[in-house]
Amino acid sequence: MLRICSLSELVEDEGVRFDTVTPPIAVFLTSAGEVYAIDDTCTHQDASLAEGWVEDCRVECPLHASTFSLLTGDVDSPPARRGVRAHRIEVVGDDVYVQLSALAPNLPPGVEY
Amino acid sequence: MIIEQLDKPLPGSLMPTLAGGYYTDPNVFAAEQERIFEESWFCVLHGSDIEKPGDYKLVEVGREQLIVSRNRKREVRAFFNVCRHRGMRVCTETEGSRRNFQCGYHAWTYDLDGKLIAAPNLTKMPDIDRDDYGLRKVHVREWLGYVWVCVAEQPPSFEETVLSEIVTRLGEVESIDHYQIDTLKIGKRICYEVEANWKLIIENFMECYHCATIHPELTEVIPEFAQGWAAQTNTGLGAEFGEDIKGFTVDGSAGVGELPLIAPNQDRRYFAITIRPNVFINLVPDHIIIHRMFPTSESHTYVECDWLFLPEVVDAGTDVSKSVELFDRVNLQDFDACEKTQPSMASRIYRDGGALVPAEHHIVPFHDWLKAELNA
Repeated sequence: MLRICSLSELVEDEGVRFDTVTPPIAVFLTSAGEVYAIDDTCTHQDASLAEGWVEDCRVECPLHASTFSLLTGDVDSPPARRGVRAHRIEVVGDDVYVQLSALAPNLPPGVEY
Repeated sequence: MIIEQLDKPLPGSLMPTLAGGYYTDPNVFAAEQERIFEESWFCVLHGSDIEKPGDYKLVEVGREQLIVSRNRKREVRAFFNVCRHRGMRVCTETEGSRRNFQCGYHAWTYDLDGKLIAAPNLTKMPDIDRDDYGLRKVHVREWLGYVWVCVAEQPPSFEETVLSEIVTRLGEVESIDHYQIDTLKIGKRICYEVEANWKLIIENFMECYHCATIHPELTEVIPEFAQGWAAQTNTGLGAEFGEDIKGFTVDGSAGVGELPLIAPNQDRRYFAITIRPNVFINLVPDHIIIHRMFPTSESHTYVECDWLFLPEVVDAGTDVSKSVELFDRVNLQDFDACEKTQPSMASRIYRDGGALVPAEHHIVPFHDWLKAELNA
């Protein structure tokens, strides 16, 4: 697993984008204290999910309001039609580790990394 | 400013008013917007108007339209309602609840702190500073449970402007603390569209020479108003209820639960405070009445008036209609007088203005302040 950040870098109910991995991922801390990671780029159009509204373990894309599960990456409603990848997280002390998904990312048209 | 005032006082008891043009000239109004409304602390809404994170309301201050909202930490924020991209109104409905503020033109999207968080292809433009291109912020203060904003880059001292008006009228800021206004709830709000210049409304509120003529109910509750001297001519004394009067209600009957911490010299008394440029505060033992004015042109003013009571009074659904009716009638009587005065402001007969009797001489400092601000 890859150390992606420290727990203290995360803010409750907010996401942080990390482009130290490709494609960039978004790491979230929920109000319940859980940490999740999904691909940061919405599958519909290039937007950073880390900037979205976090509620009930879902994040709403700031551009067109499709929401994605922080647990599975599943999308709820258009305009995004495909989910994002979810990544496995492990927190050890203050260190946050990620196991990136082996699946191919669902990037929006025109976005390449 | 092209309008000249009479330099010397009128003979005897009378002092001059402003010239008629101050109430009718669009250029004067434009100068007031720029030099007064856009340079002052301006009370725009009650905290409960935007209760939850993301709740917002649009308000007009001078020539600017603002979004007043709460961020996720429930802190009040105010922004110019201008997209930093191509300038479209970001919010187009007068109120609502949002998770972010998104312009409907090219979807530039701002979070509840105003930061630019998304736009098509934004991640391909990493040189755009998300804060520099965030919604432009407006200075915000919360006081008395209300949100006060200032659109100027450098706001004036809140203490030296807003709070000093409290000192002028009550003697000390602490006197208003006894009413614990920030803990009260709105029991009733009535909005008025008034076809009159905002200064006519302020001048009317400041004096009581008209009270015995147009406010029979108010003068019944506060008989001393029949003498024509307003509560705003003294400091810290207010005006006393009549002997048989039980409360500040339309028929003098008892009011509702008295505010628990008011001082003995605040019981059975009415106090009135004008906070320039747009707020009136009325204090009585069991409720507070707060007017916020939004001048929209030289001849039109929108007024929102709130009646605030103890939370338990509002929560219990207590009938406050007799309390509300008294000042609603006063408002309607006052605004009717202002509306019937406004047309004459353009008459040649009022070109040089009218006169103020001694019971109105305390309006002169308001005029002096206005002229000083316009000439600043």
